[in-house]
Amino acid sequence: MTQSKNRKLTIARAMAESVAQEMRADERVFVMGEDIGELGGVYGNTRGLLEEFGKDRIRDTPISETAFIGAAVGAAQDGMRPVVELMFVDFFGVCFDAIYNLMAKNIYFSGGALKVPMVLMTSTGGGYSDGGQHSQCLYGTFAHLPGMKVVAPSNAHDAKGLMTAAIRDDSPVVFMYHKRLQGMGWLGTEAGATVQTPEESYTVEIGKAAVSRAGTDVTIVSLGLGVHHALKAAEQLSEEGVEAEVIDLRSLVPLDRDTIRQSVAKTGRLIVVDEDYHSYGVSGEVIASVTEHDISVLKASPRRVAYPDVPIPFERGMEQFCLPSVEKIIAAYREIQPSRSPSAASV
Amino acid sequence: MSTDIIVPIDLYEEEEDAVVTSWLVDDGAQIEAGDLVAELMTAKVQHEIQAPVSGTLRILKQVDDVVAKGDVIGSVG
Repeated sequence: MTQSKNRKLTIARAMAESVAQEMRADERVFVMGEDIGELGGVYGNTRGLLEEFGKDRIRDTPISETAFIGAAVGAAQDGMRPVVELMFVDFFGVCFDAIYNLMAKNIYFSGGALKVPMVLMTSTGGGYSDGGQHSQCLYGTFAHLPGMKVVAPSNAHDAKGLMTAAIRDDSPVVFMYHKRLQGMGWLGTEAGATVQTPEESYTVEIGKAAVSRAGTDVTIVSLGLGVHHALKAAEQLSEEGVEAEVIDLRSLVPLDRDTIRQSVAKTGRLIVVDEDYHSYGVSGEVIASVTEHDISVLKASPRRVAYPDVPIPFERGMEQFCLPSVEKIIAAYREIQPSRSPSAASV
Repeated sequence: MSTDIIVPIDLYEEEEDAVVTSWLVDDGAQIEAGDLVAELMTAKVQHEIQAPVSGTLRILKQVDDVVAKGDVIGSVG
């Protein structure tokens, strides 16, 4: 492993390093899931763990999410601190009773007598033609249901710190990582997710957003891969004198409404970028957080750049047409600030 | 005098090209011999590239570049 201070990690390596450090420090931490052992995870995020910790603590499971996520809830209630992987978030259908009726509710149902300190890590996102049952984000689906914390990092530094915070949390945490940010070439590559990451253990507080780029003219709120689209759009807008502020939510539950509100109070304009479906989702919740609080700060209607309300197409051209993009973010800005568009300026 | 960072002939068995998926150190950074510096991928398998010697890294092949066994992807000077 690279020892220099200059070291960068992919999100995949950052997740594995966090889990390894917590496993060394706490014998109650163990990992379960499909292909997380010998393969090291389909997305590389458990590489090296089986070799160091052995099969008792790194447990490859049969293909029954219902069984092993249910088992993890029981283990967590019984004093262990399981980290379990739902390989694709799209597979939640078979195991959601264990997730939202058991994992999310048992602290409440027991009147606080039980703790459920478990991490459910799961991959999100598409863009590489894997079809509509392997490409969804479902951020809103998980964030909607009370009782679970939900995080979604955009870079390796935050991924490591959020994973460490999640493992140490006495409540269940859903850790949603976007496949394109893992540093695995076949899923697409976003180089901006591979950043300098300290070797020592540290936490990133769950429930705190980050201002990834400061600006004064428009606030672009996003999470995961969308943060990188937003940063690129902000760089393009900057060339024409528009300074966008980019907020990386990092956590969906709790949602850092204060940081969003403070930014929009400054800029007066809001665009939310979300690869999850358009309706009933994170994007609407972010906008409501602003408008319910103080609608007078807005100089224009908020805009959403989200996934159309259709099952995700397999065909490459159709899928790319549906995905959020830098171009769509800039087009959304033109809609709410038409006087600055090149066409209007040339009239 | 600089030392090339080469895709090892025996990095993987198949005769196929690989793609650079990550540089784990910035261009111009100081690295130590044996440091993990880059990741390459063939099909769905990821391979690690270590620094051959200590010195200053110069990156010659970027993320998403396609490379073959024996190609120079960087140097250490």
